[in-house]
Amino acid sequence: MHEIIRLVNRNLTISLNMGFVIWQIIFPLIYIFVAGFAYTALIHQVPFGNKTLDYPAFIATGMIGFNIMNSTLISGIIIWNDRRHGMFEQILVGPFTRAQYIVSNVYTIGIIGLVSAAMITAVGYPLFFKQVEFNILTVPLVIFASITGSILFGSIASIISTRLKSSEGFNVIINTVFLFFAFVSTAFYPAQGAPPILSTAFYFNPLTYLVDVVRAGIFGYFNSLVATEMIILGVGAVILFVIATKLLSKLEM
Amino acid sequence: MYCIEARLLSKSYGNFMAVDNIDLQVPSGKIFGFLGPNGAGKTTTMKLLTTLIPPTGGQMNILGIDAIKSPLEVRKKIGVVLQQPSYEPTLSVEKALDKYGMMWNVEKNIRKDRVEELLVAFDLVDIRKKKNDDLSIGQRRRVQVAREFMHDMELLFLDEPTVGLDPSARRGLLDFIKGKVKDGLTIFFTTHILEEAEYLCDDIAIINKGKIIAVDTPGELKNKFGKEKTIKIHISEQKDISSLLAGIPECTIEHDSGVIITVRSSHSEQVLQDILKILASNDMAVEDLSVVPTSLEEIFLSVVKNSNA
Repeated sequence: MHEIIRLVNRNLTISLNMGFVIWQIIFPLIYIFVAGFAYTALIHQVPFGNKTLDYPAFIATGMIGFNIMNSTLISGIIIWNDRRHGMFEQILVGPFTRAQYIVSNVYTIGIIGLVSAAMITAVGYPLFFKQVEFNILTVPLVIFASITGSILFGSIASIISTRLKSSEGFNVIINTVFLFFAFVSTAFYPAQGAPPILSTAFYFNPLTYLVDVVRAGIFGYFNSLVATEMIILGVGAVILFVIATKLLSKLEM
Repeated sequence: MYCIEARLLSKSYGNFMAVDNIDLQVPSGKIFGFLGPNGAGKTTTMKLLTTLIPPTGGQMNILGIDAIKSPLEVRKKIGVVLQQPSYEPTLSVEKALDKYGMMWNVEKNIRKDRVEELLVAFDLVDIRKKKNDDLSIGQRRRVQVAREFMHDMELLFLDEPTVGLDPSARRGLLDFIKGKVKDGLTIFFTTHILEEAEYLCDDIAIINKGKIIAVDTPGELKNKFGKEKTIKIHISEQKDISSLLAGIPECTIEHDSGVIITVRSSHSEQVLQDILKILASNDMAVEDLSVVPTSLEEIFLSVVKNSNA
């Protein structure tokens, strides 16, 4: 078995506990089925490209992106725990390189991201199936969003985990950052109608691009704006991944 | 044949030389003890030899491989128990052993047998289902050391492996290590518990302030640095014994309480005979007498003290 596969196996074993799985399923379900229907009275229709979506369909697809982002928290938690519990050094005196350790984390969050996306797509499907327009770009766009989103947010979580030593600091910072990403985005509500400052802030947030690409795939709407968002997402993922890798490579032993 | 050959190996942090141009040769199939006071450079040397950190200068050959050019090739053939605890908090003891074996690409059926063997050898059977997070420090240390034997290796680095272990677990671990050496494993062992080094090691190096100040077998170190023996005599009544013994050549009186006198000499047999003659000629009855060879601890303290001077 290849070194990276062994490390991914190990990462999944130590990360996937009942608490995490429940968090990954229950939390989005509450948003999709409770907030989705509760807010329908306030937000009736949401324009998306040349289409108009009803709010439950809008939030269900937003939750796919949200869940991809949330699942990447695991990357920061793995690195932070490995440093705290001495496994980072132990792995690096074993038959592994730092590059393999980093890549294994990317694969881990990629797998968790894809599974999360598939799970929420399956759960949310009854809400958006009427408006779904599958085409040749649907699967590639959702997979692209899952992978680049996982790498981008996983890199952010990794960067935070390499900079902080105390568990309190790590938890506070990572939750604050991810809370900002979650709620200052178009995952939960559309940019249209929001105060101008807020709707501008939405587009400084990679989660907005991630959910836009997911929605573009699911609702079969692709234009130059989506293509630009994909480029920004891809470039952002590469830059942050390089930074995360450099910081991990420089971690003192 | 040497397992480890290091030449002018150094590691500096700014102006501070943590390891200062050391030479090391560790023969295969032996237990090599690496002793030194706190902050002497033991752990840094261990990190260099295990390729965890790169050296500032020098050469290292581990198991015939240039460890600076091919660190990964070295790491595939060695085992390392670091000084700091390392564990997977969410895994049970048996799962942690099994997963560690998986990480080393050990086949599943072999892993299964080894887990059972190590649970018994390290007295972990009763806590096999317990999560690492719920273990005591000593139990966690036992799991950490046991885990390293899940995979095959030619050379094992142990950085103070007995820290946190009770005396029985400590002896059990040392005996387990001895058994593995009989099977051909080479061990590089750092400790500051000198009884352990004396019990276990074939060769010993002493490091202080980043420099190696002595290397030899425990016996030779004693011959070189510990020829002196301590003679302790308890006489039945208070006498001015110091003045009686003052004329004996090669004899240093260390302590005289009137009834108990302690002397040191590198010619202990002759000195003892002279003392007994003097006591007999002065009608002084001996209640108790002992001759104690210099311990490794005394040698260690003396060598380090001389090096500091």
